[in-house]
Amino acid sequence: MQFSVDWLNQYLQAPAETDRLAERLTAVGLAVEGREPSGVDTLLDIDVGPNRPDCMNYLGLAREAALALGTTLQPPSVDVPDRPLPSDEAIQIRIDPAAAEACPRYVGLLIEGVEVGASPQWLQDRLRSIGSRPINNVVDVTNFVLWETGQPLHAFDRDRLTDRQIVVRFARPGETMTTLDGESRRLNEATLVIADERSPVALAGVMGGLESEVTGRTANVLLESAHFAPTAVRRGATRLGLHTDASHRFERGADPEACLSAAWRAAAMIQQIAGGNAYAALVVDSGKLPPTLHGELSVSRLERFAGLQISRTDVERILGALGFAPDGGDSEDRVGITVPSWRYYDFAQTAPDGAVWFADIADEVMRHVGFDAIPAEVAAAQGPDAESAPSYRRRHRLQDHLSASGYLEAFNYAFLSESESEAFDPLFDGEPLRLANPISERYELMRRSLLPGLLESALYNLRRDAAGVQLFEVGHLFASSADGEAVEHEAIGLIGGGLSALPWDGGRKIELIDVKGAIESLAAEFGVELVARAEARSGLEPGTSGVWSLAGGSDPVGQFGRLSGHNEQEALFAAELLARTLPAEIPLKAVRIPSRFPAVVMDLTLTHSLAVSWTELTEAIEALRPSLLADYHLKVRYRGERVPTGAVATTISFVYQSDERSLTQDEVNEKHLALLNELDRRFAVHDEEVGG
Amino acid sequence: MTSSSLPPSFESTDLDALAREFEQQASGITERAEWDALRVEWLGRKQGRLRTLLAGLGELPAEQRKAWGRGVNQLKQTVEERLEGLDAELRARERRAERLALAEDVSLPGRRPHIGRLHPVTLVTREIETIFRAMGYSVAEGPEVEDDFHNFGALNFPPDHPAREEQDTLFLEGGLLLRTHTSPVQIRTMMQRKPPIRIICPGRVYRNDNDLRHSPVFHQVECLMVDRGVTFGHLKGTLEAFLTRLFAPQTRVLLRPSYFPFVEPGAEVDITCPFCAGSGCATCSQSGWMEILGAGMVDPRVLAACDLDPEVYSGFAFGLGVDRVAMIRYGFPNIRMLFDNDQRLLRQVRA
Repeated sequence: MQFSVDWLNQYLQAPAETDRLAERLTAVGLAVEGREPSGVDTLLDIDVGPNRPDCMNYLGLAREAALALGTTLQPPSVDVPDRPLPSDEAIQIRIDPAAAEACPRYVGLLIEGVEVGASPQWLQDRLRSIGSRPINNVVDVTNFVLWETGQPLHAFDRDRLTDRQIVVRFARPGETMTTLDGESRRLNEATLVIADERSPVALAGVMGGLESEVTGRTANVLLESAHFAPTAVRRGATRLGLHTDASHRFERGADPEACLSAAWRAAAMIQQIAGGNAYAALVVDSGKLPPTLHGELSVSRLERFAGLQISRTDVERILGALGFAPDGGDSEDRVGITVPSWRYYDFAQTAPDGAVWFADIADEVMRHVGFDAIPAEVAAAQGPDAESAPSYRRRHRLQDHLSASGYLEAFNYAFLSESESEAFDPLFDGEPLRLANPISERYELMRRSLLPGLLESALYNLRRDAAGVQLFEVGHLFASSADGEAVEHEAIGLIGGGLSALPWDGGRKIELIDVKGAIESLAAEFGVELVARAEARSGLEPGTSGVWSLAGGSDPVGQFGRLSGHNEQEALFAAELLARTLPAEIPLKAVRIPSRFPAVVMDLTLTHSLAVSWTELTEAIEALRPSLLADYHLKVRYRGERVPTGAVATTISFVYQSDERSLTQDEVNEKHLALLNELDRRFAVHDEEVGG
Repeated sequence: MTSSSLPPSFESTDLDALAREFEQQASGITERAEWDALRVEWLGRKQGRLRTLLAGLGELPAEQRKAWGRGVNQLKQTVEERLEGLDAELRARERRAERLALAEDVSLPGRRPHIGRLHPVTLVTREIETIFRAMGYSVAEGPEVEDDFHNFGALNFPPDHPAREEQDTLFLEGGLLLRTHTSPVQIRTMMQRKPPIRIICPGRVYRNDNDLRHSPVFHQVECLMVDRGVTFGHLKGTLEAFLTRLFAPQTRVLLRPSYFPFVEPGAEVDITCPFCAGSGCATCSQSGWMEILGAGMVDPRVLAACDLDPEVYSGFAFGLGVDRVAMIRYGFPNIRMLFDNDQRLLRQVRA
């Protein structure tokens, strides 16, 4: 919000130099974020928090500045017009009971016989300096007073109000009104309006109506200076998409006690500039004016809370200058305070006993004592806190494992378009969560799979001439449960394709088993055995895709396969695993001491139909498992010359070993031959069988 | 000279000539095979020429036999020594040849193992975690989809308050929302256990904001300490301990009063600009300072919402944008590049 230094200085006994003003305002919490020269003046861009509507005007800002600079606030003196209204018919004001909360007070002040014209140059300059366009002397005064006091005012042409009536009420269904900006607006029951006898003439606290505006022909002006509740103004303004200087202040909480003084100030200025005679203000209260809040501050508690010695004198000086009217209280330690009306809304949510919260008052003192005056101190350690979240410990381990496996960690947005969301099958039930206010169509749904994001990242890199892609991501997936709750699943995604490294560095084409193996290795690291089975999955080439389940279970906990549905020449492979498959706690396991006796390794090459899966072979080996077989592993798979079409030669290494003795070749031969013969009998194919 | 099965004619055999002949043969040898052949020709067990010279020795008279034998033995010794010498020469030559065959161009690039890397945001988050864990903090986590109570209500955002607008919330159909900060994790922790509480809450947060400086997805680490007697001085001390470790040890920390609904007093925290160490540069608009995080004493309304008595407990909290620190640290010019997953960039970042 922009403020003129020159204008602000009008309210300070000792005018402040710009640099020091900026520095001091920033130090007490009114951050000066920019400055801009404007003739001989300077405009300050001040970040006024939504809790400080009282500083969104010159007097309020000057109150803080005066204390921060060590000078005194000089408010303008105001004459109170006390001439009684000529008759009851001059103006009538009523607050509809239904609007009592929304409009606790309405002050109307009648000025008869004004001469509407252009404002004097100084007033026009003031308004222009803060980017406000001068309109006429009456309207300009209301704008000036808003900026001076923070109280939004509105001027009606009294003679254009039907029956000279003012009613504060909620709009009726179907009512419309043309606002000052020329827009015709359809109102509803949530819109608080100022109406005359017939129809709305202003949107309360937001904008006036075109039909009752002050023009060159206006002679008699009714000044409105009302207090509207924040929510009432906010609902009306938001629904109509309006945001004005007035609504900005009311929404954040105007000063309930400022209605009269601001009306008087405006009346005095209008009489001075536009002539006319002001009458005594007409004050209508709904009985719902905010109460005055009281509290007290224990100086010793303040010292303990801040970690700084503060004298009672300083506490009273600061609170006094800010309008908290500190009183002696009945003890040495306690200072009684009254919250000034302009700070009501910031303090309104009081403690259960109705008193102002300690921290709220402490803040006022501490920011004026200065945060830099408070010595830094490290809190005494009390030993470690509770155990960290299991999800966090698990993530650490799996990120380390996957990066050690050669994969780069990717971060994708959690949003997907409709088509991306449908491209892959999630590993869990539930509809995608839909954003109510998405940033764009591309980001409408929350992801149920990491694969769309990883695919996009892979394509991004391939389009930039990457020879290969190896990325992983760990992140949350989202879905709605059957009863409409949101459910989150952490998942691990992996994508690979192209060369695993530069050719010189031993890079080779990444295959499905590379990506699958990375996840299986990860699971093994966590002591988990995954069982894979073929299954058709959306987004994955048929015949290459599968799911994992845990040994002994059948629910899919992961999926993998060659990605389909992209135009890259390079084959891409992906895998996804639910993180909960991996335990956060891995029980420590003692190492297995290797046998002292030599092992006998025997290879077996079996040429079998491609239809025989590795799972079938291993199941057969397990079933036949000879007593001295310590281990076996897949060595080579070969298809080509000397292997019939439709078959594959699988070479398996068998390791025979005993913990107790050296084995003789003869006893190993005997066992191995028996195994070999049985496997051969069950699985082997010969040329004639396939070739036929 | 050819080998003969006949007994040697001792008179006609000139041992000196034989020695010269051997030497002539030996001097031309360069290959192991030639050496082998030479050895067999002269020293061979059955047909070696020196052996045949001794074949008819028994027929000679005793005194002649002695002289002949001495002469042949001398020749044999000469041949053996010469062959040994040749053998050593050949072995040396062979070793040289072997070494030559093994020689490498040592300037060739070594074959490097293919390693992966963690995302810059992960690296910075871990660094922050390490700093706080050393101070006794634990790590707390929570859901990214939240309800109004945990994201706003309990954090003293009154309904319909403009402070909510500043959060640029992304809402889900049905009324839930994507958390705009990790503060809901603080709320969940305070509702779940009693002080002393010292936690940090790292995680993803979401805002309806999308330009070069703002990403709709970004990452925070928030810190919370609640106990009896926690002071604003403790907040300052903890911030200094943290920020001087995360940035340079000589980093200065400045707190300015500011407003956040969930803290009172609240502060914006500036550090001396990490790029110019406070002397002023383009990044800090010549100010020498950089706004780095928001902090404050936990608002009593927040404590009360979590069923903690503000008359008994006090606490501090602060929150830091991790992506921004990652950008500063690794020189990413805009936040969106952190989400491109460009391998050329990801390969360069390290802890």
